[in-house]
Amino acid sequence: MDFEIDKELRREIEETREWGEREVRPAGLEADRNGAPLPIDHPYFRRYLEHGGGRTRWHGPGAEPARGSSGGGVLKSVIIGEEISYWDRGMTIANPGVGLPEGIVLASATEEQKERFLGPFLKPDRPRWASFALTEPGGGSDTANFKTRARRDGKHWILTGAKCFIGNASRADWILVQANADPEKGRSGQRAFFVEQGTPGLGGFKIEKKMGLKAYESTSFTLEECRIPENNLLGEAGRSAEKSDGGEKSSKGYKSTMSTLNASRPGVAASAIGIARAALDESIAFARANDLVKQVRVRDRLELFQRKLRAAWLMVLKSAWLADQGKPNIVEASMGKVYAAEIAQDIATLAMELLGVVGARGDHLIEKLYRDVKALNIVEGTGQIQRVIMGRQLVGLPR
Amino acid sequence: MIDFSLNEDLELIVDTIRSFSNERVLPKIRTFESDRRVDGEVSREFAMAGFDRLELPESLGGSGLGMLARVLVNEEMGAVDPGAALALDRLGPAFYALEAFGGLNALAQFARPIVETEGKRAVLVLESDSTFDVEHGRVSGAVPWIPSGRADLVVILSDTGARVVEHGSSLQPLRGSGLRAAGSASLRLEHAPVIAQWQDPRKAAQALAKARLYAASLLLGVLRGASEFSRNYAMNREAFGRPIAHHQGLAFLIVDMYTAVESVRLLVHDAALKIDSGEDGTQHAAAAFVEAVEASRFIGPNGVQILGGHGFMQDYPVEKAMRESRALGLWMGGIDRARDDAGKFLE
Ligand SMILES: Cc1cc2nc3c(=O)[nH]c(=O)nc-3n(C[C@H](O)[C@H](O)[C@H](O)COP(=O)(O)OP(=O)(O)OC[C@H]3O[C@@H](n4cnc5c(N)ncnc54)[C@H](O)[C@@H]3O)c2cc1C
Repeated sequence: MDFEIDKELRREIEETREWGEREVRPAGLEADRNGAPLPIDHPYFRRYLEHGGGRTRWHGPGAEPARGSSGGGVLKSVIIGEEISYWDRGMTIANPGVGLPEGIVLASATEEQKERFLGPFLKPDRPRWASFALTEPGGGSDTANFKTRARRDGKHWILTGAKCFIGNASRADWILVQANADPEKGRSGQRAFFVEQGTPGLGGFKIEKKMGLKAYESTSFTLEECRIPENNLLGEAGRSAEKSDGGEKSSKGYKSTMSTLNASRPGVAASAIGIARAALDESIAFARANDLVKQVRVRDRLELFQRKLRAAWLMVLKSAWLADQGKPNIVEASMGKVYAAEIAQDIATLAMELLGVVGARGDHLIEKLYRDVKALNIVEGTGQIQRVIMGRQLVGLPR
Repeated sequence: MIDFSLNEDLELIVDTIRSFSNERVLPKIRTFESDRRVDGEVSREFAMAGFDRLELPESLGGSGLGMLARVLVNEEMGAVDPGAALALDRLGPAFYALEAFGGLNALAQFARPIVETEGKRAVLVLESDSTFDVEHGRVSGAVPWIPSGRADLVVILSDTGARVVEHGSSLQPLRGSGLRAAGSASLRLEHAPVIAQWQDPRKAAQALAKARLYAASLLLGVLRGASEFSRNYAMNREAFGRPIAHHQGLAFLIVDMYTAVESVRLLVHDAALKIDSGEDGTQHAAAAFVEAVEASRFIGPNGVQILGGHGFMQDYPVEKAMRESRALGLWMGGIDRARDDAGKFLE
């Protein structure tokens, strides 16, 4: 057993830290102050590309898929992700690149689709984004019950429905849209479709005003008789959902989506940890600068932050490590996500108290973290849904 | 004898302020927030109904009501918009310091001109939240944040006394984390002449007790508002084939939030009754404030949680409640100081 990070990875963390401090934190603060994501022509995004960002993990035609979001395993991607979220969680989503749908595309897309949709991200000529649209105005937790429909029409699919809170949707080259091709089959009728920007029928983009994480856009949009080529159906190019028979095979669309979300859970948890660690560091700095550390109530809070944060971090590292070992981690991943998100919220909440009236000014980093962190217990499966998942595993909670 | 009901007068007050807040304030909460002020028409209606001089003695043209009336009004206003509540009640908790130390004379001299001049605002600042120097009857210093865009009268309350300042202050507008409808600024005093000052630790404690209760009752309103909004939402939104409120994971959360609101309300009423009966309510007011702040840590974020992604968006009021409840909890010396005062009686 060993909880230490090796030298090589430590060096990478240090590089991430330098970039985060110099570029990511100021960009995130700028967006928060403006109450809007940075415009796509903002120089930050260019610098991000020059820095080597915005590229796909796919290595080109015929290449083996890489593991983890940075190609070095889940553990490594979680550790680097925590560091970058420390500097600004919102910017990690705002950054150009394939982002959220990358895992599912790598796992399920045909080679032709990878070339078409990931190819432009191999050496991007400009900042490019992609987007993953699952949630609908009528519900996000009940993933089997989405109302967006896909209907076959000759060599096309026609999509109709509405999505909401979708990261980077209006600036994305394409959006991977979850829709049901066979509602009677319920969740097994679900499929994912590449919908390219500019496709007639894709529109009504509305960027939401959020409490926090203002650095990236969360956008609602509609699909009105949106016609896309048949080979934009993820994975099963040219095959209609009706043709595929029931059971295991036909629920692949739904399952692959869910397995992507399972795999990304430690990453989301790690970003909550990053935010909480930033709140802790800011709290310590404030307490020291104002000579508060010896006050027992202040010290109790700081001790609590440190202890809970360490437990949460170890939980998340363990879930990532299990994934790298190819071992089941469903319970650990959900536990880490809910524990980290809730502890991070508590830390930010109590850190505001440490600031006193300074916290109410609206210009302290901790105040921003207090607003940002709330989303982490909502996105990619709420705290309640994580408990349901754990309940199924631990006590056979019925569906 | 024990009686949890309100008398007719108080019931009427609650009904009136509830209609006012729901009909006149609620539709405009986001406008007030972005404008950082409440519009003149709403202010005038509030004043016409006498709510801007609720506790001012009748001899000075006020309604002469006590702490219980105050906390009932604040709960109703807080449930809709605590920032607007502060903007509309232009005397705010500064009233309590003037009342405790200077009695009728001070109220006539300092409080009445505030309510009688449209837009004027008095602010109470605690010395413990700020840094002040006093030299030759002039005070200099800075207050990091006040929930106001104006400060026509500044009352500085310390552990031992109070000072009143009218001129020599300047405000630097701030974005503010919450309560933006009240305005938000840092306050600087530069050799500001002190126009009245008093020393009396007992009276300082009484004034602080009332000011805390003022904040706690607004907080109570915010927490009730967030709890009720999210409960209704949960009854109407479905997931997995039933209202989300009927999933035990949410049902228990909702009932715990309801319980937390009730515990705050009872402690707030308890302290208000003590104060109105002339007892020393300082411990009870401090305890009520602590309870309210603790409940806000739980209810603020969970009000958002129950709405899922919608809760995080500014189309719904729960994210506002999460920010405002936090800001209110930092006000009036914050939870740590209140806890010290609530526990002092154990010594
Ligand atoms: C900042 C942000 C970014 C986002 N980005 C994206 C994105 O890029 N792509 C995307 O597809 N989505 C995105 N989302 C949406 C997010 O995934 C959903 O908000 C989330 O899945 C919850 O769905 P919902 O909001 O519809 O809440 P609902 O599903 O309506 O849930 C409401 C409440 O009910 C509770 N609940 C539901 N079922 C149960 C149950 N069985 N037991 C107990 N409680 C239950 C939930 O926990 C929640 O508290 C984003 C959301 C936010 C806030």
